Amino acid sequence: MSPMDVLALLAAIALPWAAGSGIVAALPASRGGAPGSAAWIAGAGWLLGAVLVTLVMRATARLGLPFGRLSIGVPLALVATCAAALVARMSNATWRGATLQARDGLASLLGRGLTGIRRIAWLALLAWLGVRFALLLSEVLWQPLYPWDAWIQWATKAKVWYSLGTIVPFEFTDQWLAGNGASYFDASPHYPATVPLWQVWTCVALGRWDDSLMNVFWWQTALALALVAYATLRQFEFGRIGALVGTWLVASLPLANVHVALAGYADLPMAAYYTVAAVAALRWVERRRRDDAALAVFFVASCALVKTPGIVWALTIVGAALVGAWPRTGLRVVGIAAAAFAVLLLATSRYSPTVLGYTIHLTFAPSWGALGDSFFMLGNWNLLWYAVIGTAVLARREALERPMQAFTTLIAAGAAFLLIVFGVTNARDWVADQTTVNRATLHLAPLAALWAVVVFRRYALRAAPQAVAEPGDAEGAPRAHA
Amino acid sequence: MDELSQPGVGVAAAREGWPRPATIAWVFAGAVAAMLLLYLALNAPGHWFTQAPQLGWSAAQLSLARGSGSVQGDEMHITAPDATGLALLSVDTGFRSADYPVVAWAAVDIPPGADVRLLWRTDYTPGKVSSVGLVVESGRVLPVLLAGNGEWIGTIRGLAFAVRFAGGETVRVRGVVAKPSGMAGTLGDRIAEWLAFEGWSGTSINSVTGGADIQDLPLPLLLAAAALLACLVLALIARRRGLSTRHAIAAGFAGSVLLGWAVLDARWVINLARQADITARLYAGKDYTHKHLDDVDGALFRFIQHAHAVMPTTPARVFVVAEAHYFRGRAAFHLYPHNVYFDPYHDALPPKGQLHAGDWVFVYRRRGIQYDATRQRLRMDGVEYPAEMKLTEPGSALFLILPP
Repeated sequence: MSPMDVLALLAAIALPWAAGSGIVAALPASRGGAPGSAAWIAGAGWLLGAVLVTLVMRATARLGLPFGRLSIGVPLALVATCAAALVARMSNATWRGATLQARDGLASLLGRGLTGIRRIAWLALLAWLGVRFALLLSEVLWQPLYPWDAWIQWATKAKVWYSLGTIVPFEFTDQWLAGNGASYFDASPHYPATVPLWQVWTCVALGRWDDSLMNVFWWQTALALALVAYATLRQFEFGRIGALVGTWLVASLPLANVHVALAGYADLPMAAYYTVAAVAALRWVERRRRDDAALAVFFVASCALVKTPGIVWALTIVGAALVGAWPRTGLRVVGIAAAAFAVLLLATSRYSPTVLGYTIHLTFAPSWGALGDSFFMLGNWNLLWYAVIGTAVLARREALERPMQAFTTLIAAGAAFLLIVFGVTNARDWVADQTTVNRATLHLAPLAALWAVVVFRRYALRAAPQAVAEPGDAEGAPRAHA
Repeated sequence: MDELSQPGVGVAAAREGWPRPATIAWVFAGAVAAMLLLYLALNAPGHWFTQAPQLGWSAAQLSLARGSGSVQGDEMHITAPDATGLALLSVDTGFRSADYPVVAWAAVDIPPGADVRLLWRTDYTPGKVSSVGLVVESGRVLPVLLAGNGEWIGTIRGLAFAVRFAGGETVRVRGVVAKPSGMAGTLGDRIAEWLAFEGWSGTSINSVTGGADIQDLPLPLLLAAAALLACLVLALIARRRGLSTRHAIAAGFAGSVLLGWAVLDARWVINLARQADITARLYAGKDYTHKHLDDVDGALFRFIQHAHAVMPTTPARVFVVAEAHYFRGRAAFHLYPHNVYFDPYHDALPPKGQLHAGDWVFVYRRRGIQYDATRQRLRMDGVEYPAEMKLTEPGSALFLILPP
C-alpha cells in the first residue's frame, strides 16, 4: 500500500465521518458536553455519514454525473464545512478553544481523572481493544474479498458501478435475458445498494478497483459501533471504566469480529445501524426532543437501506418506541401487531408466501439442538446469551420498570422475531446448518449485550447493601467527559 | 435517568462490602476447577491416574492393504477403494488393551455415507479380527471408546482402518493414536480442542466454532456452568456470614461472566493473531493482481486476465459455464464489468435460444462442451452455435458467438 493509497483511504473515511459527525454535533441535543457525547458524535456521526455518502452517490447517479472524487467528495466536504461552521457559531468556539478541547479529549482518553488501579484498568482495556482492532485492520487491508455472498451478490454491484461510474440496474434472469444487455445480473439482484456503494466510494477515492482496501468501511463501522456502545452506557450513567467494559463486551463478539475481518456481508452494518437506531429512539423516548426524533427516524430508515430484513428490525424499534413514549397505547398497539403477526404466521401453514425474499412456511419442528449449539456451545457469542438469560432471570423486575420498558420491549421483540422465524418456520433449515441463523442473530447481539449490561447494573445497584450516594465518585460521576 | 442511575449510588457500599473482586476471581477459578474435575471423573474412560504413555503411528508407518493411494507429506492419501469398494490401512502394534481404552484415527475428508470401521486383532484370539464402527462428523473420524468392548482384551497385535466408499474422493489419514485417557490425558485432549487453531474457511462467516471442529466439552458451557457454581458458592458464604445474598449473587454473576468472557476473548484474539500472521504471509505487500494470482482460484484469475485481453473494452454479454458453483461465481466476479450471466445454484448451460451474435461463452472445467474448429461450431446440450474460439487453456475456453 503506497502513501497515496493511505491518504486516499483516510480521505474516503474522513469525508463522510466529518460530514456525519458535523451534523450530529450541530444538533442541539448534542450540546452541553454530557458524558459520552464525544463518543456519540463520533460513532453516530460515522454511521450517519456512511449513509450520507451513499445518498450523495444515488443523487449523483440520478443527475447523470459520473462517480468521481469531486462529484462525491465536494458535496460531502460542503456538508462537513457547513456543519462545522454551525457548531462553531452555536458554541462560540475559537480555534484555541477547539485545540484545548481536543487536548482535553486526548488526556481523557489516556485516563486523566483516573488513578491507580482504575487508570491501569482503563489503559489495559484500551490496549486490548487496540490489539483487536489492529488485527482486524490487517485482515481488512490484506485479505482479498473472501466470503461467498460478498462476491456473488454484494460486491458484484460495486464492481460494475465502479467500472461504469454510475448505478445501473441488476435484474433477475427473465428480465436480464429480455433486456438484452440493458441490465446486469447477480445472485441477488434486488439487494439494497448501500453496502456496494460504500465499496464504490472507497475505490473511487483510491482511483482503482481493489477488493481488499474497499472494505475499510466495515472496520470503521465496527469502531463506530464500539463508540456508540460507549456513549450509550455513559448516557445510562455508567462510569468511564464501566462503560469501557461494556464496550469491550460489544466489540469482542467473535462473529462480529469475523464480519470485519472477512468483510463484504451486510450483517455487521445491519447490527450497527440497528443498534444506533435503537439507541437514538431510546434517547428520544427519554428526552422527547425533536432533534433526537429526527436522528432516530434517520437511523431507523437506514436499517431498511442496509439490508432487506432491516424493515422488520425497524418495526421492532417503532413498537418499542411507542411502548416507551406512551406505555398504555403503545402496549395495546404492540399487542395487536403481535396478534396479527401470529395470525399471519398461522396462515403460512396453508400458504407459503415469500416475504422480503424469504419463503416462509409454518412447520413446527424446531431445531432447538442446533439453536442451542449456536447460542451456547459454539464460539460465536462468548457468554452473551448466558448473560442475557441470567440478567432476564435475576433482573426481571428492573427490566420491566418504567425506564427500561422500551429497551426490554425492543429486545423481547427482536428475540421473538428470531425464535419464531427460526423455530417454527421452514427457516429452521438455516439453523440446522448454522448459516443464516448466526448472521441474523448478529443483528440483535450488540444491542442485547448493551441491554444486559444496563439492566444488570440496575439490579446490582439495588442489590448493593446500604446504598448511599457518594458525591463525586470517580467511577459513577459524570466528571470526566470522555 | 432515575434514582438508580444517580452517580455513585451503591458504589461505595459495593466497594467496601463483600465479596471483593479477588474473592470472586478465586471462587470462579475454584468453580472452573471443580467443574473440570467433575467432568473428568465422569468422562475419563481409562484409569484416572496412569503412567502409560500415549502411543502413535504416523502415516508413513501405515500399510495400504486394500485400495490405492500413497503417502503425501505426513498424510496417507487414499485415492480409491479396491474393486469391492473397500480401502484398508493397517499397522502392527503390541500394547496392553487394558491400558489404552481409546483409539483415535486422524482421518479427514471422509465422503458422506462412507462406512468406516476400526479393526483389530489380539493375541488372545489370534485368528479373529474384531471390528467396531466409527462415527464420522463433518468428514472427520471421532475417537472410539473401546473400554467395555468384550473383544478389546489381551495384547493388541494390530490395528486397521477400513473405509467403504464409492471412490472419486480422497480420504486423508495422518495416523492413529492409542490413548490411555486418564484424567491428565483427557484434560490434555480438551485443552487441545479449545486451543486448536480455527483458520478462515468458507463457513467462518456463518459460525465460529471456538477451537476444534468437534469438541467434547465446549469451553463456553464449562465457563457458564462454573459461573453458576461460583454464584451459588458466594451466595452460600454470604448467607452463612449474615450478608446480603442478593449482592453476593450480583457480584458473583458480574465477576464470573466477565472473567469467563475474558478467557474466551483471549482465546479468540490469539486465534485472530495466528490468522493475521497467515494472511500477512500470503498477501501482505502484494498488489491486487498478485494477491489474486496467489489466491485459491489463482488459475481461474489468470485465465480471466487473458480473457480480458481478447475481449472488448466495453461491456459484452458473457455466459459463464462451469460445473462447480464456486467457479461459476468466481468467474463471474472476475469478469465484471462485462455483463455476466451465470446460474448461481445449478450447473446449467445458457438458456436455449438466448445466445446471440456478439455474446461470449466462458467455459471453465465443464465437461460436455464440444467445439469443431474447422466448422466453427460450438455444441452445448445438443444445440450447435456458430462460434469462434478466442482463447483456450487446459480445461478452459472462451468463445465468441458469430452470426448464423
